[in-house]
Amino acid sequence: MKDMARYGFILAVICVAAAGLLAAVNALTGPKIIAAAQAEEQAALKEVMPLAGKFMPVKSPADNTTLYYKAFDNQDKLIGFVFKASGKGYSSVIETLAGVFLDDKISAIKVISLNETPGLGMRVAENKFTGQFNQQDSLNLSGVEAITGATISSRAVIDSVIKKAQEIKEMVKNDK
Amino acid sequence: MKDLVKEFTKGIIKENPTFVLALGLCPTLAVSVSVINGIGMGAAATFVLLGSSVIISLVRNFIPGKIRIPCFIVIIATFVTITELCLKAYSPVLNRALGIYVPLIVVNCIVLGRAEAFACKNNLWRSFFDGLGMGVGFTLALILISAIREFLGSGQILGRTLIKGFEPVFVFGMPSGALLVIGLLLGFFNLLKNRRS
Amino acid sequence: MINNFTVSGSPHIHKPESVSRIMWTVVISLIPAGIAGVIIFGLDALWVTLVAVAAAVLTELTFGILTKKKITILDGSAVITGILLAFNLPPQVPLWLPIVGAVFSIAIGKQVFGGLGQNIFNPALVGRVFLMASWPKYMTTFTPSFDAVTSATPLAALKEGKALEHISYLDLFLGKHGGCIGEVCILALLIGAVLLLIKGYISWHIPATYIFTTAIFTYIFGAAQLFHGDWLFHVLSGGLILGAFFMATDYVATPLTAKGQIIFGVGCGLLTAVIRIWGGYPEGVSYAILMMNAATPLIDRYTKNRIYGTK
Repeated sequence: MKDMARYGFILAVICVAAAGLLAAVNALTGPKIIAAAQAEEQAALKEVMPLAGKFMPVKSPADNTTLYYKAFDNQDKLIGFVFKASGKGYSSVIETLAGVFLDDKISAIKVISLNETPGLGMRVAENKFTGQFNQQDSLNLSGVEAITGATISSRAVIDSVIKKAQEIKEMVKNDK
Repeated sequence: MKDLVKEFTKGIIKENPTFVLALGLCPTLAVSVSVINGIGMGAAATFVLLGSSVIISLVRNFIPGKIRIPCFIVIIATFVTITELCLKAYSPVLNRALGIYVPLIVVNCIVLGRAEAFACKNNLWRSFFDGLGMGVGFTLALILISAIREFLGSGQILGRTLIKGFEPVFVFGMPSGALLVIGLLLGFFNLLKNRRS
Repeated sequence: MINNFTVSGSPHIHKPESVSRIMWTVVISLIPAGIAGVIIFGLDALWVTLVAVAAAVLTELTFGILTKKKITILDGSAVITGILLAFNLPPQVPLWLPIVGAVFSIAIGKQVFGGLGQNIFNPALVGRVFLMASWPKYMTTFTPSFDAVTSATPLAALKEGKALEHISYLDLFLGKHGGCIGEVCILALLIGAVLLLIKGYISWHIPATYIFTTAIFTYIFGAAQLFHGDWLFHVLSGGLILGAFFMATDYVATPLTAKGQIIFGVGCGLLTAVIRIWGGYPEGVSYAILMMNAATPLIDRYTKNRIYGTK
């Protein structure tokens, strides 16, 4: 019994010391982590919507997650939206960031997360594929050709963008 | 002094954690896709090894044998969390490339193995050099594996294309390629060892 | 052969059969399919095959010299590996592809395990899967042959949901469609297979159960509605016939007993059908055989003949 108490005490001391140290490190790095994440987010948004100067997240009223971003130009005029679409590819969920102008034309897209077959599905992240989306109608996208041998991955990107664009259009309409 | 040098160098060749002890193969297989990942993972693991070895050898007389494993794990996990937070703050790109394998250093057999086999029985300086040697050995092994895989799998080293017109062997960018490279290297090093003796 | 393969005490009868004799007969039995490939796809198919064979034999020779073991290039096994590998490649691949594949087949698929008789996987399939994972672009690009109806393989077209453009069973049987060099002409493959069966070098157990299982399974699950699958299409297309007669019957990496071989064949058929119907790849023969190769030691353990006088 005495041993038990001693063991518990020693473990507690070690845990308290560890927790204190971690709290200190967290306090030091916390703001930096948030800043880095934000900078990264802004850079990614800028990449699919180069014409915009400012982005504003639109939060879901229910659970405070970001639904999409409104993109404003330098005169603070609304020029379009940026959203994240995700679709099931061949071996992973493919996440795509897409920028869409007010007239439903796509500004640019960027595949931000995927894990497909190297040499086939992975090629959907390449410019040769994503570049086809520029200036296409986001609700149709019939001008985008799937990569030979990687139909499933290509369709995942195309279909998820169309689906999400429709959803966003509905949401924006209801907002007004 | 000579003693300390020996503790340091044994981790690099004679008791190399990857090629001789065959420890910590899971992160080795997973992150050795590119040299930069290999260096990052090696550095993170070295930091954790160094920190946990030093602290454990300092408190070794204070920890009762019966609860040494939970104590070791708490100490190791603390260093791993520090590493993860720092990576997130200062190098988000590398953090994303290494992904889940940074927190998983907690269960890396090299770290707990050295704590159990060495640091809890030896003094501060010997543990320090043992941890450093093991870390460097692990890092060098990772760099070797990832250099082979990055070159064959994408035709590049550190993101620079070496040979024009080289058709990348994609399999080496996949986990199966990692198994292949590690298996052949293990065989090769054993061959060298057998030749010598 | 396997039915005669009863392990028993002496006296034994000596037969003129030898490893190299069997191997060279297999080579001969593969020639019709090779000729058919050359007729269908042109001389490219011939070059791919010759290059693969040469690379396989040279690798075998190099390993023999390096490890100071008996030089085994004349027993024909390396030649078979080279031919089978080439037969599993599209005809218009760049010529370095069969070279790399053959070197990998012999070096990693066979010699690292200790050479002929020690390999746990079919070496040619090891090479093919390596090429498939490494250069999928070349391995899945089929350029149209001179009188083929469509350039894509029938199975790939099926997988992508395209309508099969009037491809008849006869076209499939004669090989008038896109595909790998040695797998397209079922007629030629069957000629070779019959030779091997008559000679007794392969037994019917694996090929028959393999093809039968694939047919049944694709008949039941191959279409949206149960029991409406086009089983004949599945049997005649892809590498099923080549795989069933020439690769799933590899002596080394398959079970010894008849019972074990039937399990092996059923397993191959099941896996092939599952990959074709629900998998990501259009064709599953190579993966099915490799997986069952891996299961062979286990099958052998549970199906070995009882030693007389034991339980």
